[in-house]
Amino acid sequence: MAIASDKVRRARPLLGTFVEIEAAGAAKSKMDAAIDAAFEAVAQVHRLMSFHEDDSDVSRLNREAWLRPVKVDAWTFRVLEAAVELHRRSKGIFDIAIAATLQNMGLLPRPDGDPPAAVDGRLFDSIELLEDLMVRFGHRDVRIDLGGIAKGFAVDRALEVLRGFGLASGLVNAGGDLAAFGREPQTIHIRHPRDPRRLMCRVEITDEALASTARRFDLLSSAETTGSAIIDPATGKPTDVIDGATVRAGSCMMADALTKIVMICGTEAIEWLELHNASALLISSDGDVRITPDWHHAVHLAA
Amino acid sequence: MMTWVRYTLPAAAITSIASPSYAMQYLSIDEAQKQAFPSATHFTEVQAGRVWKAEAGGRIAGFFIFDRVVGKHLYIDYAVALTPGGAVHSVEILQYRESYGGEIRSPSWLAQFVGKTSGSALKINGDIRNIAGATLSSTHVTEGVKRVLAAYGNRLR
Repeated sequence: MAIASDKVRRARPLLGTFVEIEAAGAAKSKMDAAIDAAFEAVAQVHRLMSFHEDDSDVSRLNREAWLRPVKVDAWTFRVLEAAVELHRRSKGIFDIAIAATLQNMGLLPRPDGDPPAAVDGRLFDSIELLEDLMVRFGHRDVRIDLGGIAKGFAVDRALEVLRGFGLASGLVNAGGDLAAFGREPQTIHIRHPRDPRRLMCRVEITDEALASTARRFDLLSSAETTGSAIIDPATGKPTDVIDGATVRAGSCMMADALTKIVMICGTEAIEWLELHNASALLISSDGDVRITPDWHHAVHLAA
Repeated sequence: MMTWVRYTLPAAAITSIASPSYAMQYLSIDEAQKQAFPSATHFTEVQAGRVWKAEAGGRIAGFFIFDRVVGKHLYIDYAVALTPGGAVHSVEILQYRESYGGEIRSPSWLAQFVGKTSGSALKINGDIRNIAGATLSSTHVTEGVKRVLAAYGNRLR
């Protein structure tokens, strides 16, 4: 007989960060099996969509899709479809064809023999999604990176796996991109984007997703944050108006992608947040905190 | 049309909830061994406190290696499970500790966590929390796994 308060939480290094998965309200063996299966879903997304793995769908597309149509996994295709749709709706602000810029800045590696690609804001339009999960790039300089959306997608897949096990509740946290299900609200503490040693606020979520973006940091060497890896496609430069953003949405993929739009557009992103029924909190570089009016009741600032 | 609600966060308020250290215990070594090799009936210590051989019905199921990465503010215990052929089967985080007073290398600070059972809890001032925000890099663990593989991948057969 399962004890309702029983829970299991485990963590693995995946997607370039630490992925935590929690299961609650079922027999221990069932929770263990659910967590194993959920990690496998995250690992599968990692294998398919990593820019760093030579045999991922993303690497194959970047190498070959300008020569001939490349068949990808159904999951990769789903993420590409969502990225194309977001690109269209955001009038080009959300852009997965930014990899060449990230490579030129040293934020992404350049595979051996891969010459520097020209950076052109219109490259995205040459990504063609064909029938039977085939993808073709209309230009040899297209380099995609799904880093701005795949982590959220991985969280959604892992949560879906957990749900399938009939647990009372579950939570998946991929380095700050997270989603939960269950009757009880989950309390999430958000680090200050300038100083990750400090917690800035707490947020309660129930059956929804939360994604946060700020600078990267590495506590093994220091608590200093490194630069933002979000590029404004209009300028080709890293964003600097917003220090950090947290977005609440129905799916983690959408929350993840919307954080990038908020980082680039700042307060003007409200149009897209509303369109996707999402809420947000942003911290501008002058230290001001802004929260969408539908959400400020759920956010508890440190003050 | 929605409009933003604006707040000014006083610097003092941010510091007021700063915590000296976070700790999370996910799995004990025993639990992680069973997790990695559920069919194993026997774990033999090959190298004290570091390497175990997992056996199922007299056959080698794989190897279990305990390792840790220690940094300036972060301390991570993790385990690598290898297949009998020496390939990575799984990598699991066992414990995770963050501290900001430079106490991470001091034995007395580390001692407070010794013997803790797997309560699966990130504790900040005693409460269980979920943390989001800036992305914590897992590069050092990934590098650690490569070192483990280089050191043991071909030796343990």
